[in-house]
Amino acid sequence: MKFTISWLKQYTDFDLETDELAERLTMAGLEVETVDELFHDLHQVRIAEVVDVKKHPDADRLSLCRVNVCGEKRDVVCGAPNVRPGLFAALALPGAQLPSGLTVKESKIRGVLSQGMLCSEKDLGISEDHSGIMELTGEWESGQELAEALELKDTLIEVDLTPNRPDCTSVIGIAREVAAFAGGKLRPPVKHTIIPELAEGHERFSVKVEAPDHCPRYAARLVENVQIGPSPWWLKKRLLSVGLRPINNVVDITNFIMLEYGQPLHAFDFRKLSGGGIVVRKAQPGEGITTLDGENRKLDPEMLMICDLDRPVAVAGIMGGEDSEVGPETVDVLIEAACFNPLSIRRTSRILNLSTDSAYRFERGVDPELAPIAMERAVQLMTALADAELVPGGVDIYRPSEGSQSLSLRVSKTREILGLDFTAREISELLSSIEIDVENVDGENLLVTPPSFRVDLEREVDLIEEVARLKGYNRFPHTLPMVPMSRAYLDDARSFRKKVSALVNASGFDEAINYSFISPRHFDMLNLPEVSPFRKTIAIQNPLTDDQSVMRTTLLPGLLENIRHNINHQITDIRLFEIGKVFSPKSGQELPLETFRLTLLCSGARFPEAPPLYFSEQQVDIFDIKGVAEVLLQELRRTGVKFEVAGDSAAAYSQSSLYMQLTEGGRVIGELGAVSPSTLEKFSIKQEVFYLDIDLDLLYQTDSRPRQFEPLNRYPAVKRDLAVLVPVNTGAGEIIGELLSVNKEKLIEDAELFDVYEGKPVQEGFKSVAVSMTYRSSEHTLSDKEVNKVHQKITDRILDRFGGRLRE
Amino acid sequence: MEEELQSLTKEADQELEDVTDSAGLEAFRIKFLGRKSRFNSLMKELGNVPNEDRPRLGKLANQIKKELEKKYTGKKDELQNELQGGTTTEKVDLTLPGRRYPFGRPHPVTRTMDEICAIFESMGFGVAEGPDIETDFYNFEALNIPAHHPARDMHDTFYLGKSTLLRTHTSPMQARIMEQQEPPLRMIAPGKVYRCDSDVTHTPMFHQVEGFLVDKGISFTDLQGVLGVFIARIFDEETPIRARPSYFPFTEPSAEIDIGCVICRGEGCRVCGHSGWLEILGAGMIDPEVFRQVKYDPDQYSGFAFGLGVERIAMLKYGIDDIRLFYENDARFLRQF
Repeated sequence: MKFTISWLKQYTDFDLETDELAERLTMAGLEVETVDELFHDLHQVRIAEVVDVKKHPDADRLSLCRVNVCGEKRDVVCGAPNVRPGLFAALALPGAQLPSGLTVKESKIRGVLSQGMLCSEKDLGISEDHSGIMELTGEWESGQELAEALELKDTLIEVDLTPNRPDCTSVIGIAREVAAFAGGKLRPPVKHTIIPELAEGHERFSVKVEAPDHCPRYAARLVENVQIGPSPWWLKKRLLSVGLRPINNVVDITNFIMLEYGQPLHAFDFRKLSGGGIVVRKAQPGEGITTLDGENRKLDPEMLMICDLDRPVAVAGIMGGEDSEVGPETVDVLIEAACFNPLSIRRTSRILNLSTDSAYRFERGVDPELAPIAMERAVQLMTALADAELVPGGVDIYRPSEGSQSLSLRVSKTREILGLDFTAREISELLSSIEIDVENVDGENLLVTPPSFRVDLEREVDLIEEVARLKGYNRFPHTLPMVPMSRAYLDDARSFRKKVSALVNASGFDEAINYSFISPRHFDMLNLPEVSPFRKTIAIQNPLTDDQSVMRTTLLPGLLENIRHNINHQITDIRLFEIGKVFSPKSGQELPLETFRLTLLCSGARFPEAPPLYFSEQQVDIFDIKGVAEVLLQELRRTGVKFEVAGDSAAAYSQSSLYMQLTEGGRVIGELGAVSPSTLEKFSIKQEVFYLDIDLDLLYQTDSRPRQFEPLNRYPAVKRDLAVLVPVNTGAGEIIGELLSVNKEKLIEDAELFDVYEGKPVQEGFKSVAVSMTYRSSEHTLSDKEVNKVHQKITDRILDRFGGRLRE
Repeated sequence: MEEELQSLTKEADQELEDVTDSAGLEAFRIKFLGRKSRFNSLMKELGNVPNEDRPRLGKLANQIKKELEKKYTGKKDELQNELQGGTTTEKVDLTLPGRRYPFGRPHPVTRTMDEICAIFESMGFGVAEGPDIETDFYNFEALNIPAHHPARDMHDTFYLGKSTLLRTHTSPMQARIMEQQEPPLRMIAPGKVYRCDSDVTHTPMFHQVEGFLVDKGISFTDLQGVLGVFIARIFDEETPIRARPSYFPFTEPSAEIDIGCVICRGEGCRVCGHSGWLEILGAGMIDPEVFRQVKYDPDQYSGFAFGLGVERIAMLKYGIDDIRLFYENDARFLRQF
């Protein structure tokens, strides 16, 4: 809602600086969004009278004008088609700075000296009109400062209105609030006492309301012999100041009153209404209308229309029709002031995708008592400004809503909710300040009757809020509630994710957060087949862009995009992870499945934060990512999770030779690998990328080994090396696994790989695997004999299981 | 006497410099620090010094002795080090950078969210998360925002199906939790929320923390008190705070809580739109209609609820000027927090 301070002062007096006014409005719940000083620096623009116009000798479209300004004559070159002798116009003198930033200078235009510039409304920042120079109708004193003569200097305030305050969608509504806090009186332009009673019918025109539920009130009056023309400057200025375009006096008056009172009005060209009547009804099947904006609109049978006896002539409360528009040839005008059902207007406005100032007000709720007042104002202004002749009488069909307008308010409840010991008297005083009628019944119960314009006050709690608002929110003390101690709710799965996050941080990965939606294109980039479950997505019906049109089923594309972004910014050493939800449809359920996943990616240098001096050659490989997974599982004590080489079932975006699955009891809970070169290419990534992807919800459910203290061993350890030649396809990890599994005597403490080698001099088809064994007993110091025995036993076992021989 | 002490020091420094092995060092010790050293004989002479000079000279002698001992120990360590094949201190360029191992950081949104949660948890609030994909019922209806309510304009909603959508706020958790549990309740619900809006100050996804407290006799002053504690903790004790009337269909009275601009300290700047105040969270007393939906008796219970934007707080705390940076995941950004 926009208004200017001079406009506001038309309805109430107050003695507040702009800053103070803005602060008080904000604290009253009318949040001031912007404050703009209008035309405060439009100097050196004067009113000039054009006395002579000649053609420019060297340019067809330019004129040489002689103007009268400040008692002297000046020559000005002008390109506007409407420049003519006798016209009063705005002349920017040399040195003037225009709102566009242009500084006017004396200069030669096509060889002719121009001592200033005649301005269009757009040049001056008054409107968007640039079709010609601004014309000042009537007589003016030439040489006067334009801003002063037109009273342009003003302050524009924009208030961000909450939907519960439809009464403040008008300057008078704002003025009422200002009057309440600044102590002034409200001066509405129409005295309630002079409003005539209207009948349900009229001899010159008919009104029928066929859908009373959608239209509780419809008033219409007729004015004749209207002189359509431009509005006087004061009226234009009001509209322009809040960004509305003046059209003609009749239309401008309806718009002005809408802004002034908050009551949208409509003016019909009466002679274009077929049958001279109005029917308020729902659209009939197949009906359409061309609205004022030139659009042909299809109507549905739930839409409320204002019709003449044949066809719709306006979309009720939203926009008029082109056919009955008031134009230069209009003679008689039928003025409509009505009240429509907010839900009906909102629905229609949505479906037609048509938001107007009128719809904005009706969908929030217009005071039904306002129609006759606004009608009276319209009649007055049309008579005064458009020489209209009022046809006596008029129609007002009104079905006031049933039920009591009074509410009961308990003092005890007010105290309880607000936490302050209000008295009945204090509450009454506060509410009365904004025209709310309060009757003190018994000191506890108050009977409260809100004024009709406060359509938002319907319940006791609405009144309690008003009490708090009028008291001033910042006059309440801060207290801390007395609440019994309780078992706080703990979300263990959430704590688990926090732990995972901390562990992955400790492994050197920065956390990323990506949008939950991705592009369907991403699935192609991941090489996923048509039948891939990843492609079973939940689509957004109204996405902002195609790139954000489906809910993600994998975190990988987002992170790969992040890598691309970083590489584009010359950051090539990357460790990123994300813990976030993926979404998949769940059959038979309204809401889909939301699963937390952990995905991490690494690429580039192994020690990115150390200077190349130390680790210059080292780049990450698959074992870095495997190491992260191992540490994670170890610290989460998920000992049941196994790594399995699973090249045959490798993911479409993974290199099959570098792919492993994480399984628990046969169930796959995650995977790791190297992103395939073709996928990388599609993401424009030219370096290797390794990834780990785990279903965190499944991982959370897996068994964890309890944290249990093991006594520290007091006896010395014995180390022995074991070097074997085994067939080349034997996994070294399997040998370690085997070594650690044969531990009946509990003498094997550790088995660590220290060399794996194939190639000469090792025999073809074999590889050499060297392991450092640690033996230790928790009961005594091991003798050589004991160690030899165990060492021999496990050596035999390895050779037996994998086939091979001891290395010489 | 004084001159003698000074010259002795000079001589000792000179000799220590020339020492190259432990035998030399031992000879030095006997000569300068041993019982029969010249130093000791000088100390003995102190007794013959005039009374008025004695304290000053005594102090000086002690000081010189201490310095000598220190230099002697330093030389001893140096020789020891060389003997063990270690490098001498002069040979290491300690200005070389340290050897850093990879270390990752939480995202600034996570960091801020954890901080927010920790403050409320310290006041006894529990934490629960809800679904990102919500029903129209929990996102709107249960919060007193029926279809065609103008308040729906305040939510640019992404729709997924006829009655499913991406939650536009974390407030649905109020209804979800109250439906399941009886008061007293003290909960916060952090999470992602979505609005179809994108510019310098809006991203289509962002984070909120919802909070609410329900019991008998909870009042508007309690709301201001609890949020006052929160703001003092997340910013600082001196941060000015104000409440002003606002509107949310699921609270009444409703309030916006502003803090004094942390950038300009109330002077007025671009960030606060020259008002000196920053909107930081929305709050209010839970509307009786919401209680009715979850079958609480509004005459028996009252409570307050609040919702705050995590990115906004992170931006103010860290001075970040473009919300989109949070979702580019540029390492140069992530590594600053």
